[in-house]
Amino acid sequence: MAEYSKSSRTPPPPIATRNCDDPRIDYKETVYLHKFLTPQAQILSRKRSGFCTQCQRQLKEAIKRARHMALMPFVN
Amino acid sequence: MNLYEGMFLLDNQVVRADWKSAKNLVADLVKKNGGEVSTIRRWDERRLAYAIRGRRRGTYYLTYFKAAPEAITAIRHDFELEERVLRYLVLRVETLPETEVELAKAELVEGYTVPPPPSDDEPLPVEEPVAVVEEAPAEIVEEVPSEAGTEA
Ligand SMILES: [Zn+2]
Repeated sequence: MAEYSKSSRTPPPPIATRNCDDPRIDYKETVYLHKFLTPQAQILSRKRSGFCTQCQRQLKEAIKRARHMALMPFVN
Repeated sequence: MNLYEGMFLLDNQVVRADWKSAKNLVADLVKKNGGEVSTIRRWDERRLAYAIRGRRRGTYYLTYFKAAPEAITAIRHDFELEERVLRYLVLRVETLPETEVELAKAELVEGYTVPPPPSDDEPLPVEEPVAVVEEAPAEIVEEVPSEAGTEA
């Protein structure tokens, strides 16, 4: 089992309820996307999002788009 | 012709005057450059995650339109110059989402109204300290720069 004790302030990973062949992650789904931000508005790493490389790339792209549209904050 | 999804963030000052003409502003710019608007609707009015040109809130319009790839360059160029549009995003998509036609149509019904955008100058919500929780954060407190004023 993975250990997340490296930093006690680090939140545990969200359960990645996503299949790789699901529709593309949409930048408009901001409630969903917020789950993948740290309190400082950084994007969770792949290790913590639980996503595969391709899904993580989609996640990053969606968050970048949402930030551009002022739907989500940039890193504090 | 490809299908595109366009999201446009409009200055609420324009929307306050008339939310429909704000919608037409977007549609007209697309059409002017040879785009065919399939659907367009007011997507949402929100507090922005960060202030843009002194604006803390704005109204989003979502459109799906068909255009030739060359037209997209011209459309982007026009929106760059359009001051009433605070942000925009144009993406190529494969299909028109099922619900769009119905949602766009609902706005065309006579008597359909939307609440006017709230004042930009409303006091900011009291910022609560971000507690360190053990769960994944469901929401991030939106930081709004306090120095952001209103433009003349
Ligand atoms: Zn995947």
